[in-house]
Amino acid sequence: MIRAAGDSALLINLGNEIDEEINERVLSIAKRIEEEKIEGVREVVPTYTSIYVYYDPLIVSYEKLKFLLKNYLKEKPKEIRGKIVEIPVIYGGKYGPDIEFVANYNGLSVDDVIEIHTKPLYRVYMLGFLPGFAYLGGMDERIATPRLKTPRTRVPAGSVGIAGKQTGWYAIESPGGWRIIGRTPIRTFNPNKKTPSIVLPGDFVKFKAIEDAKEYEEND
Amino acid sequence: MIEIIEAAGLSIQDLGREGYKKYGVPVGGVMDRYSAIITNYLVGNDRNAPLLEFFMGELKLKFLKDSIFAVGANSEVRLNGEKIEAWRAYIGREGDTLEISMPKNGVYGYISFQGGIKCKKIFGSCSTYPQAGWGKYLRGGDKVEIQYSSKKMLERRELPEELIPKYEKEQIIRVILGPQREHFTEEGIKTFLSNKYIVTEESNRMGYRLDGAKIEHSEKGADIISDAIPLGSIQVPENGKPIIMLADHQTTGGYAKIGVVISADIPKVAQTPIGGKLKFKEVSVEEAQRIWKRKWNTLQNIKRYLNGEIRALRVKINDESLLAFVEEL
Repeated sequence: MIRAAGDSALLINLGNEIDEEINERVLSIAKRIEEEKIEGVREVVPTYTSIYVYYDPLIVSYEKLKFLLKNYLKEKPKEIRGKIVEIPVIYGGKYGPDIEFVANYNGLSVDDVIEIHTKPLYRVYMLGFLPGFAYLGGMDERIATPRLKTPRTRVPAGSVGIAGKQTGWYAIESPGGWRIIGRTPIRTFNPNKKTPSIVLPGDFVKFKAIEDAKEYEEND
Repeated sequence: MIEIIEAAGLSIQDLGREGYKKYGVPVGGVMDRYSAIITNYLVGNDRNAPLLEFFMGELKLKFLKDSIFAVGANSEVRLNGEKIEAWRAYIGREGDTLEISMPKNGVYGYISFQGGIKCKKIFGSCSTYPQAGWGKYLRGGDKVEIQYSSKKMLERRELPEELIPKYEKEQIIRVILGPQREHFTEEGIKTFLSNKYIVTEESNRMGYRLDGAKIEHSEKGADIISDAIPLGSIQVPENGKPIIMLADHQTTGGYAKIGVVISADIPKVAQTPIGGKLKFKEVSVEEAQRIWKRKWNTLQNIKRYLNGEIRALRVKINDESLLAFVEEL
């Protein structure tokens, strides 16, 4: 269950599928380890099914840390209470150049795509890949669409997209191959804030279709 | 203040962003920590002081103010046209020009200034990460500001020759296998550990893509449920060709990792040029941590030596010439 990932990180693997219960346990134990402030531990990073513990091998050895961490696996995990975060999205038009493709690909209308995309409560499983990028679970497979064959060199920050059975948004501008269906006017990632990301693992996301960005711009 | 006249892959870096991986923030920072730390120590800086990193020189800078500096690269270095040494601290006077050639071995080089470079910190670091709009690569005409310093040279200002890092075009890179070893067949692991892999042109500060014998995946395949990527992770996608994740790598990814390069050998990987060859060798975690401890001790000894706290002696043991740091008790 615990294995080395190089000489200054280890991982605790808690399962082999994308599953809410497994991820909850990951988040709960990760939080517990983080709060414990074990000497030599630099960072604790929860992922879908594993907890990565980054450490300083000059302070704590692999064997010792492994021994210490085993204790936390026996405890009953505390419940993580995620918050619901509403993400307003302007769908289609210049903000969502691929929405028609997504609709045609799946034999739906653009309105259907918006309805299907805004319906679920998406669970945030982890953050990673790029700053502030949230891996969401729970997209309806009726709007699943393969990635672009040639990725765009620039996707603006806030762009909401679909890649295969996944959905999410670009928290910062970056190159990317997701099918872009809309854009959120709110800033979801801000390095100057103590908690830089507006969503954290364990939270839930609800997309809300909006017509224009005015009210959000004023509030930002 | 320093003015950049000619630049090559030039950026401000330090040891990167620690503590924000859980928000998806890459660590970033210098590609070769060992060289960068020594270059900082030469001018009396902390190891984490922001400095300049360049890639494959030619470089020309102009001092707009006096500054103590050192160049950490195996390049030819000229101050106002006169040849000076790399791995040694000098004072650059207002109006002086500094020219640095392409490194004779290795690809990344460092220029430190006493006091360190001034910058706007993001997540506690000055490291340039243009993908997120955090700083940009420097070009001719750009200026960088240096923090105030006493402009006093250290007791010693030169790295002993034995300790100058030299990088070959063919390297043996030690790795710890895993964490997704079971995604590879025994044959695949054997292929990985017994062949040389070439650094391809599709390599950058995020990672080096290698070419060579195809590594066979087991029935579990090349994809995993996305998880975290420690520095030096070796991902093997479907095509069976390894990718080594370096300084600017993303924090998570979905390819199976066959191994992770040990901390002590990451500079060797980073300094291998396109076309250079890497051969992987398996070591245990315990061994890797011992090697790192030794390397770290060497760095601390270099710092103490430069500060004049300890001496370095050249000794001959069984006909082998060695450098020993000695401390008078």
